[in-house]
Amino acid sequence: MNFIYPKTVNEAISGALKMFGENHVTATIWKASVAVLAASLGFVFYMLFTEGHASFNTSSDGVNWGSAIATYVYFALISSGLTIIASLATVFGFKQFYPVAKRCIWLAIVTLIAGFAVLALELGHPFRMLWAVPSGMQIYSPMFWMGVFYVIDLGLLIVKFYLMWKEDWDSPFSHFIGIAGFIAVVLASGMLGLLFGSMAMRPMWFGSATSVFFILSGVLSGAAAIVFSVYLAYGFDTKNMPEQLRSLALSDQLPKVFATLIGIVLVFLLTRIWVGLWSNQDGMEGFVALLNTPWFHLEVWVCLALPFLMMLSPSMQLAPKWQVTASILVLAGMFIERLQFIVAGQNVPMFKGTWMNSVTPYTPSLTESALVVVGISTALALYALGERLSNLSAAPKESIEAAGQLARG
Amino acid sequence: MAKWGMVIDLEKCVGCQACTVACGMENSRLPGEMWQDVIFFTEGTHPSAQLKWFPRPCQHCENPSCVAVCPTHATYKTEDGVVLVDWNRCIGCKYCMIACPYGVRFYTDEKPLVAPDMRKVLASKDDHSWNPPWKMPDAREDWKHGVGIQPHDVVSKCTFCYHRISKAPPGTPDLDPQDPKLREFTPACVVTCAPGARYFGDLSNPNSEVSRMIGDKRGVRLLDQLGNKPQVYYLTGDGGAVPSSRAINKKV
Repeated sequence: MNFIYPKTVNEAISGALKMFGENHVTATIWKASVAVLAASLGFVFYMLFTEGHASFNTSSDGVNWGSAIATYVYFALISSGLTIIASLATVFGFKQFYPVAKRCIWLAIVTLIAGFAVLALELGHPFRMLWAVPSGMQIYSPMFWMGVFYVIDLGLLIVKFYLMWKEDWDSPFSHFIGIAGFIAVVLASGMLGLLFGSMAMRPMWFGSATSVFFILSGVLSGAAAIVFSVYLAYGFDTKNMPEQLRSLALSDQLPKVFATLIGIVLVFLLTRIWVGLWSNQDGMEGFVALLNTPWFHLEVWVCLALPFLMMLSPSMQLAPKWQVTASILVLAGMFIERLQFIVAGQNVPMFKGTWMNSVTPYTPSLTESALVVVGISTALALYALGERLSNLSAAPKESIEAAGQLARG
Repeated sequence: MAKWGMVIDLEKCVGCQACTVACGMENSRLPGEMWQDVIFFTEGTHPSAQLKWFPRPCQHCENPSCVAVCPTHATYKTEDGVVLVDWNRCIGCKYCMIACPYGVRFYTDEKPLVAPDMRKVLASKDDHSWNPPWKMPDAREDWKHGVGIQPHDVVSKCTFCYHRISKAPPGTPDLDPQDPKLREFTPACVVTCAPGARYFGDLSNPNSEVSRMIGDKRGVRLLDQLGNKPQVYYLTGDGGAVPSSRAINKKV
């Protein structure tokens, strides 16, 4: 879409307000997501003020962390994946990815904000966190480091976006911010994995592989998010895209990267299931329960294996409709993965006699489901805002040449 | 400095749950939210099935994973070996509940385990999560040490009755409830245990009764393989058993 982008804060605010009266894809997303956000947030606040966190279905006897934590992990890892994809152009010199770099950075900011928003509503005392974490300095806690790295990550993302907005693509400072951001995001998403992977008493999570899996599956969800977002911004029609973006969308590099990432995640998932089913170690029973849920099979076969085949097939991998379908399936599959990973890790009782004689059941309450909607609508509303207020497809001139070479093969 | 620990003789424990009630009264627990729980389970199948029970306070581990994971240092270990929660620092992230292998931590705001919801029937008008008619004197309440009625949205747990044991005369090897001079410093569950199955003392003192019992009667710890090294020991004798395996059978 060819918008006239605001240059001052006042213009930006009036631009956001004007979008309520405009009629294009981005404005439709903006209006719908703001309305859904207002409704879902209103409901969550009402429930938190009347019932408190008792409106959640989490329980001290079994599943302590429910769908809200899964939503936070989902968005945090999408954000990390997007930052890593942006780094392909900004850090590693793959200039053909420049046309999506700015969009990646903006989406990384908004998904991280959406994740933090959901986390804040899940926490008992989110404001206390602001002073208690820095003053506590509990350096043994993976959660402490996760917080430190994600805050640094968010700060660097905002600086990087500002530089891109100023069209500073190549200055030494811009490079430095890009490299620092890449390091911060690998540490942040890796530490988020260690938050679970360090728990020896939870065998379904335990191990350093969890950390690697979080980083790589984050890149996959980031890739799905950027593919979906690019098509969404241009009404699912490549003809509307600027030249260099269309070249990237229609080259076979994108589906190849996408298929490789899905393949890696599938290998992780299936080897994890193998170890879980094969091992007699106490506490692995949750994998059997996992295998018996329809959600697991939906995730593995429909949301991952199917897009994997689509992106490998020469006749399907270049068609926008299959790329979009694959990205939507992967985004849905990754949400199921986060929820299942977190719940399954907790719902095997710790020892005989925790009052639970089987796998602890857990279904998100209405409030928890509304919180998921809060996360999704926050991300979509902020995405639309970015789309309208800044040219997210902006790229340095030399990348247009790189994209041209790509198109010519 | 003492290192307080508990010994529970499972051969003497009759599963009466007086400890649960005493703890609930002493520490103003919500109905159903038992810091000192006695868990019932079955072993074997008919006709040789047996009903078993297992008293489970916080294990006050030597290597407490809950302390290491707490991002705000709200959970901490005192110099005398007790794991406590500072309710003024707790942000309610529940990571300690995830990291505790023993399931002895409770989040205040959850669906009520027993109807009606006592937090609504006996609603508090201040920062407390509820206002029960039975409670310790205000002067004893101590949120920094997780003692008293907790505020909303924090995690609570057994304190070994820290408001009692922290006042014990220094150097006391055992807090024996039979000794009138020490009775008021002894944890409520130990004082009330009718069959006398609970012993409380200084694990760092090799001459304390608890140290002798652990040595002489082969004290064992729950889920010792995880390395948290609880300061609660169980004496199994011939009839008692510490549950080691998880409750469900793995069937594909």
